[in-house]
Amino acid sequence: MDHLFDRLERGTGMTRPARLGLLLVVLAGLGLALAQGVGAQSPSPDASAGPVATTQPSPGSTASSPDANASPSAQPSEAPFPPPSAKAAAPNTCYACHSAIAAPQRAIADKWQASVHGQNGIGCADCHGGDPTSDSITDAMDPAKGFIGKPTRAQTVALCGTCHSNVDRMRQYQIPTDQLVKYQASVHGQRLLVAQDVRVAICIDCHGSHEVKKASDPTADVYPLNVPKLCASCHSDPKLMAPYNIPTNQYDLYQASVHGQAVLERQDLRAPTCASCHGSHDAKPPKSTEVVQVCGKCHTATQALYEESKHSQLAVGPKCWTCHGNHDVAQPDESRFFHPTETAFECTTCHNPVDRTLILNADRFAKDADRRCDTCHHNASQIYAQAQGIHDTLDRANQAYLKAQARVKEAAAAGMIVTDADVQLTEARTSLIRARAAVHTTKLTSVATLADAAGATAAEAQAFADARLQESVFRRQAMVVVVAIILFNVVLFYLLKRRIERDRKVA
Amino acid sequence: MAAAGQTQRPRSRLGDFLETRLKAGELFNALVHVRIPAEARPYYLGGITLFLFAVQVVTGTLLSLYYKPTPETAYDSVKFVTSVVDFGWLIRSVHHWGANLMIICLVLHVVRIFMQGAYKYPRELTWIAGVGLLAATIGFGFTGYLLPWDQRAFWATTVGTEIAASVPVVGDALLNLLRGGADVTEATLSRFFGMHVLVLPLGLGLLLVVHLTIVHQLGLANPKHPEPRPGVVDRDPPKGPERLKPFFPDYILDEAIAWAIMLAVLVVLASVFPAGLEDKADPLKTPAHVKPEWYFLSVYQLLKLVPRIVGIMAPIIAIGALFLLPFLDRNPQVRMRWRPLAVLVGLIAAAATVGLTIWGQYS
Repeated sequence: MDHLFDRLERGTGMTRPARLGLLLVVLAGLGLALAQGVGAQSPSPDASAGPVATTQPSPGSTASSPDANASPSAQPSEAPFPPPSAKAAAPNTCYACHSAIAAPQRAIADKWQASVHGQNGIGCADCHGGDPTSDSITDAMDPAKGFIGKPTRAQTVALCGTCHSNVDRMRQYQIPTDQLVKYQASVHGQRLLVAQDVRVAICIDCHGSHEVKKASDPTADVYPLNVPKLCASCHSDPKLMAPYNIPTNQYDLYQASVHGQAVLERQDLRAPTCASCHGSHDAKPPKSTEVVQVCGKCHTATQALYEESKHSQLAVGPKCWTCHGNHDVAQPDESRFFHPTETAFECTTCHNPVDRTLILNADRFAKDADRRCDTCHHNASQIYAQAQGIHDTLDRANQAYLKAQARVKEAAAAGMIVTDADVQLTEARTSLIRARAAVHTTKLTSVATLADAAGATAAEAQAFADARLQESVFRRQAMVVVVAIILFNVVLFYLLKRRIERDRKVA
Repeated sequence: MAAAGQTQRPRSRLGDFLETRLKAGELFNALVHVRIPAEARPYYLGGITLFLFAVQVVTGTLLSLYYKPTPETAYDSVKFVTSVVDFGWLIRSVHHWGANLMIICLVLHVVRIFMQGAYKYPRELTWIAGVGLLAATIGFGFTGYLLPWDQRAFWATTVGTEIAASVPVVGDALLNLLRGGADVTEATLSRFFGMHVLVLPLGLGLLLVVHLTIVHQLGLANPKHPEPRPGVVDRDPPKGPERLKPFFPDYILDEAIAWAIMLAVLVVLASVFPAGLEDKADPLKTPAHVKPEWYFLSVYQLLKLVPRIVGIMAPIIAIGALFLLPFLDRNPQVRMRWRPLAVLVGLIAAAATVGLTIWGQYS
């Protein structure tokens, strides 16, 4: 309470009797609220508010100590925030004035009103401070009442974190409260908070400021399908990235990748965006040793197969990125085994030239064309022969599948019902996919079992399609005969008609 | 058809045998040995439709020997007929193409009757029975389309029956009546099957008897001159007595040639473009482009373009006007040049229907 008095005295310059009077008013309000069974600290939407201005948090203080606000343990006791619904009910003179000033101000006011904050009663004063109940410009925007105007970029992070780290406030919206902690651990956060680098992305750069939308809103920049373009808006800009000496071609690579095509062309929400691998609030490139876990988050079965392999047992063995790249992951097929022509073999790709211990020279895998088995394994080695065996068995199965698929398509185009063959083709394809995934075990027997099954099922589908095509040929041959007989009858009818007409003329 | 008995020929032994027991010679002569206007231009469309109906009855009966009308078994039974039963594919494909050709020929027949003014006095009831036959035929197509119970059948019926829900006041009840519930289910399949193999054949058969009986009684219309009656002046009177030709064998031979050619067309279509079968119906998997059967596409497209009430009332009014056409069009003249308004309205309606159908197909 002394603390409140001190702040009131410093902020308003009130005399002691005036402060006492105000205290009585506050106490009366508190008593009324308690009588209604609502605690001032309750996050319940039904909670009636105490005086808004007097409980306004000081943005300056939150900005200076974001960790304190981020600490979950500190939230309930030091959260004198009125619930959002109370602010929504209170008069918002900020909106009333700013929407009437000029078009740019009105646009801002309208953006806020349409935003998720505007819709949930999070008002202007919650970020900018001041007194939204006063219709006097000097009073409403009085620094003494906490008005800070446009927050600095560092202040902004702390301001957002004030509410978004508060478990009690966020519970009703069922959204996480770890964003600030994660942000502090991210490259962005580290640069901002430690290196005082205000050029890095902060909350509003991704979510917008006045126009904040839910992440589930397809028009939001942070909606998963829009995330790649959002990240690229900074990371593809050479000027912005120049101080950090990081590449700017990630978006171009991603766009052409199997992941990028799924997200950007097919709007497939299952496929990963930048945030799926790097994190969003905790954005940071995964370490080489973490990549298997990151990819395995989606490719669970493949991760399990990889962990059976010799590769996974090597301390510096190849990881997902070694063969597939990172931003430029391509559709895997049998062409990824070997270079199409013999290539200059470099022992130093995998061996330390000094002591011959195993290493992994990452630069050798920068180009997609070099992410091949024979980049590491010499073509005279035993392991190369095994890789060749795996390649050949997969290639045979794939060729069988493609041939069967073409025949089934041909039979379908001839109007034949090929649903049984379609089922067999699906089975063959499933086996082929599993066989390709089994390559991660690096075991020929595992791959061959599945690949042979795929080839056998494809052969059955092809036999079915062949039979249907033969039947189609028979149908058409029979059709010619039947049509010829019918037309012969037509000619007979016509001749009969002519004869009748001729006889009638004679008669 | 001006009746004119022909000289009796000596009967064969079989003819004697039958005549002694049936006494049907006179009736047969009355039905067959009649004369028709030499100027009649029927284009054999009605006769071809009758032939196609006969084909549908035969192939439909054969298909019903294998068909099992429940959602669990319908698809597999159709697949069995098409893939396993000897010449089952031919029977089903002929039935499939026969249905489509029947609707096309019937519509062309209606257009021919309209353009030649053959619906006018004294053939008003023939026309009404004919429009009833058209409605029954479309009903056959609509109910038959669902029976294979594949994705195309299920979803085309779903959107097709949805059109019925747009009818003012009784829309929901009509939808419920058609589907046997709120959705297309086994109840819909049961009642569509019942309609297809029992109700519609009986209804169409009765209408056909009425239609053909009146056609026989009144004879073919002369496309150049209105039927003589007091108070009506032929604006282009015939220069001499009406020329007639025998119905049998002249007309019947022409008809037989047309039927044979249509049979050849059916065989070619069934062989080159056999009836297909998509995946089994899955109410939880909506295909990308759901459309009703082609003969409902014009209404479907209209509903997308105009307010719902207009989209559904326009075809209802059009069908009503089609039924009552002989009573709405009081102009007794039959030649197109003497009835420009009717011809213009007819052409606009036909162009709109064709245009909307094509638009609906490619939209």
